[in-house]
Amino acid sequence: MAVQIAAASRSGLRSALPLLAPAYLWLTVAIFLPLSAMVFFSFMTDLPRSGKPWAFTLENYAAFFSQSLYLTLLVASLRLGLEVTLWCIVIGYPAAYVLAKVLKGRSREAIFLLVILPFWSNGLVRIFSWAMVLREGGILDTALNAVLPFKINIDLMYSYPAVIIGLVHSYVPYMVLTCYLTLQAIDDSLIEAGRSLGASRLQVLKRVIIPLSMPGLVAGAVLIFVPVVGSFMEPRILGGRTGTFYGTVIEDQFVAVFNWPLGAALSFILLAVVLVILAVTSPVLRRAA
Amino acid sequence: MATTRILEWLGRVYILMLLAFLYLPIIIMALMSFNVSPFYQLPFEWTTEWYASLWQNNQLIAATRNSVEIAVITTIICTALGTAASLGLYRYDFRGKKFLQALLFPPIAIPWLITGTAMLIFFFGVGIGRGLHAILLGHVALALPYVIVVVSARLQTFAPELEEAARSLGANQWQVTNRVTLPWIMPGVIAGGLFAFAVSFDQFVVSYFLSTPGQTTLPVEIYAAIRKGFTPEINAVSTIIIVVSMALMLLTARFFKFGGEK
Amino acid sequence: MAGVQVSNVSRSFGAHKALDDVSIDFADGGFYALLGPSGSGKTTLLRQIAGFDFPDSGRISIGGESVERVPVEKRRIGMVFQNYALFPNMSVSDNVAFGLSVRGEPKAVIASEVQRALDLVQLGTLGGRRPHQLSGGQRQRVALARAIVTTPRVLLLDEPLGALDKALRVDMQIELKRIQREIGITTIFVTHDQEEALTMSDRIGILRDGKLVQEGPPEEIYDRPKSEFAATFLGDANILRGNATGTGIRLPDGTGIAASAGVTLVAGMKASCAVRPERIRIATNAGVPDRAHANILTGRVSKRIFAGNNSTYFVDRDGQTIKVIVQNTGIEKLAEGQQVVLRWSSESTVLIDAS
Repeated sequence: MAVQIAAASRSGLRSALPLLAPAYLWLTVAIFLPLSAMVFFSFMTDLPRSGKPWAFTLENYAAFFSQSLYLTLLVASLRLGLEVTLWCIVIGYPAAYVLAKVLKGRSREAIFLLVILPFWSNGLVRIFSWAMVLREGGILDTALNAVLPFKINIDLMYSYPAVIIGLVHSYVPYMVLTCYLTLQAIDDSLIEAGRSLGASRLQVLKRVIIPLSMPGLVAGAVLIFVPVVGSFMEPRILGGRTGTFYGTVIEDQFVAVFNWPLGAALSFILLAVVLVILAVTSPVLRRAA
Repeated sequence: MATTRILEWLGRVYILMLLAFLYLPIIIMALMSFNVSPFYQLPFEWTTEWYASLWQNNQLIAATRNSVEIAVITTIICTALGTAASLGLYRYDFRGKKFLQALLFPPIAIPWLITGTAMLIFFFGVGIGRGLHAILLGHVALALPYVIVVVSARLQTFAPELEEAARSLGANQWQVTNRVTLPWIMPGVIAGGLFAFAVSFDQFVVSYFLSTPGQTTLPVEIYAAIRKGFTPEINAVSTIIIVVSMALMLLTARFFKFGGEK
Repeated sequence: MAGVQVSNVSRSFGAHKALDDVSIDFADGGFYALLGPSGSGKTTLLRQIAGFDFPDSGRISIGGESVERVPVEKRRIGMVFQNYALFPNMSVSDNVAFGLSVRGEPKAVIASEVQRALDLVQLGTLGGRRPHQLSGGQRQRVALARAIVTTPRVLLLDEPLGALDKALRVDMQIELKRIQREIGITTIFVTHDQEEALTMSDRIGILRDGKLVQEGPPEEIYDRPKSEFAATFLGDANILRGNATGTGIRLPDGTGIAASAGVTLVAGMKASCAVRPERIRIATNAGVPDRAHANILTGRVSKRIFAGNNSTYFVDRDGQTIKVIVQNTGIEKLAEGQQVVLRWSSESTVLIDAS
């Protein structure tokens, strides 16, 4: 059938254009042009339409490299992304394994749906729900003090761990989803073959299952790491004053400080980091898809 | 085999713990929306006054109406444009097709913070400005790739000979699409539409940067309220949102998963 | 009904020549097989006739009307696809009705025509079923009914029986032939199954690498293949190579082979002779020379394969293995390693230009 596919290619684009053009024009106007414009504006002193005089400058990037604050925050955000990703692997991978290889039939389908259900529900609301649990006098505090004989003060709210908990809660379904998909594709007979060759459960896990599910693991890690590095709402709500990260600084430039060119430069630096990560992992990601 | 049994049991317990981690905060938040104390104090006393007071909050109601309207329009536009684009990618082959398909992933993969601020700069720069129209423009762009991916996945199960068979029987392009292709991919189209609705209805980041004080959506309004201080009213509206989005997701799963087995 | 003329049609995909100057005349009401290995261009040719793809050069006409730039939906053809391509979202009746319905025929006409077509393929009672509730043979019949209900000018079949098991396939061959006779429609079908082509068709066209190798009635192609490829692709043949002597060849060891079929060639040029395994007689001695078995070769049995009513002997001679098929009468049974004499007539020998 390769022949037929080739047959289409001559007049293909012309026939496909009416179908493709509306969608891709929309994406161009609302995504690709804005991203390009952001790069452009990041080299300006001020926005052309702001009424003030403007000029090209490297100042915004100079600010990033000269003031250690931005670099420190970027590193902090990268570390946050790394920590959240690791926790998601630690929590999500075993769950995906149990779903794919232990549970069977309808209960598996139902539980799988339950795990990924929060995936699409409102992220803001879910972060807010943790505030209910973590704050002083909140549920965790009250519950622990009701059980424990001694008085302890649980006030995780507005702390680094609170941000981590909230983000892990938000993103762990991604990890379960991607790992489940690759784990499910692993033929059970491979595991049995490994065992029949005398390998222990742990050896089979280490030498058969984990390598085979690596694409799913990497896909999940990227899907989590990238948005977490760019998160700002979660640290704001759960981190309070300790919740200053690279994302919140970008937010500030646009909604508080109104230094859009600097915000654009900071955004573009983040975009560059994201693109590098996507490019490096794309061979593995393509295998996962 | 005893070890296997124990490990399986441990696995089940583990999954239950994960589900507890995922759902308990949401359940607690929902419960607190029915508690009398405005400071979330226990013991629990049942009330629906917070829901009642939502009806008095005109700002919130206006934001809700905006959110629903934008989500509905986003759904309609995305379903139409996304289905057309999926058909174009499915039916024809041409140089650069791989590239066009790859272009669908940046909008999904790039953090919304970047996309949102980029839209803000560009829309402001070219005179589109901020407001509900800008939010709609952004939401459609964010949801479109999801619709194309979902509908394309459904199209993968469609045999190209069916379109050829219809043409050989004298059907024109419109009849082929309308009577053969669309009925088959309809579950995918519906699922894609529901995805689009969910992406738009739950979208916070992009709406946040594109909204103006008078023209805002529900999540943006809630964020503003949260930053001012927690109130059971926020719990009430959050509970409504989470119920709506989870119901939508269940509906989507039904169409997308079980659609293929018919 | 109408005949189909394909004249000098070429079609390339990039550097690959899928069809290279192909001309065939499909007469009105005939049953044609396009036979060839995969990649030979037979499906490409069928799709050109259907109108799914247009030729780079050359002409195609249906019923005298030039159609090479007419798209498929306007050609008034009927096509049966390899996997039937029944619309899964429609009932059997709706599938059959589709062509009439898109044409905008009145409902009453559609209903009666659909019933007539379903009766013709003996599925009159199954109109309400869905395609997935049918067996493979039944789907095949629905696909056929759907293709002919619109009274197309020509019926095109793309490996129509390929997905059926052997027993069902033979039934469907007979059935297909019956229906084709009944409505008298020009039918062109693509197959890679030589037996199917031989038993079903009035004429066969053999394709290879985008070229029409030979075209004619089945017996003619079988008895008078014009190339080594045609000889070996349709049926089994022993090919002996040497230099032409006019109406025969001389093998490298000097043995002469007489042929009275095929071409006459200038002496000395490279040529081969093809002979069918079942035309060769095998014996332990030369016996009395007779004119009916003018060609004689000796060799040694290297292998015998028993297949019930016949046996195949592989006879080694001068580095070549000659295949001989004999009916098992219960008398001759030659052991492996035995010296034998092979004899066959010049009438059974086809001379082929091998230059």
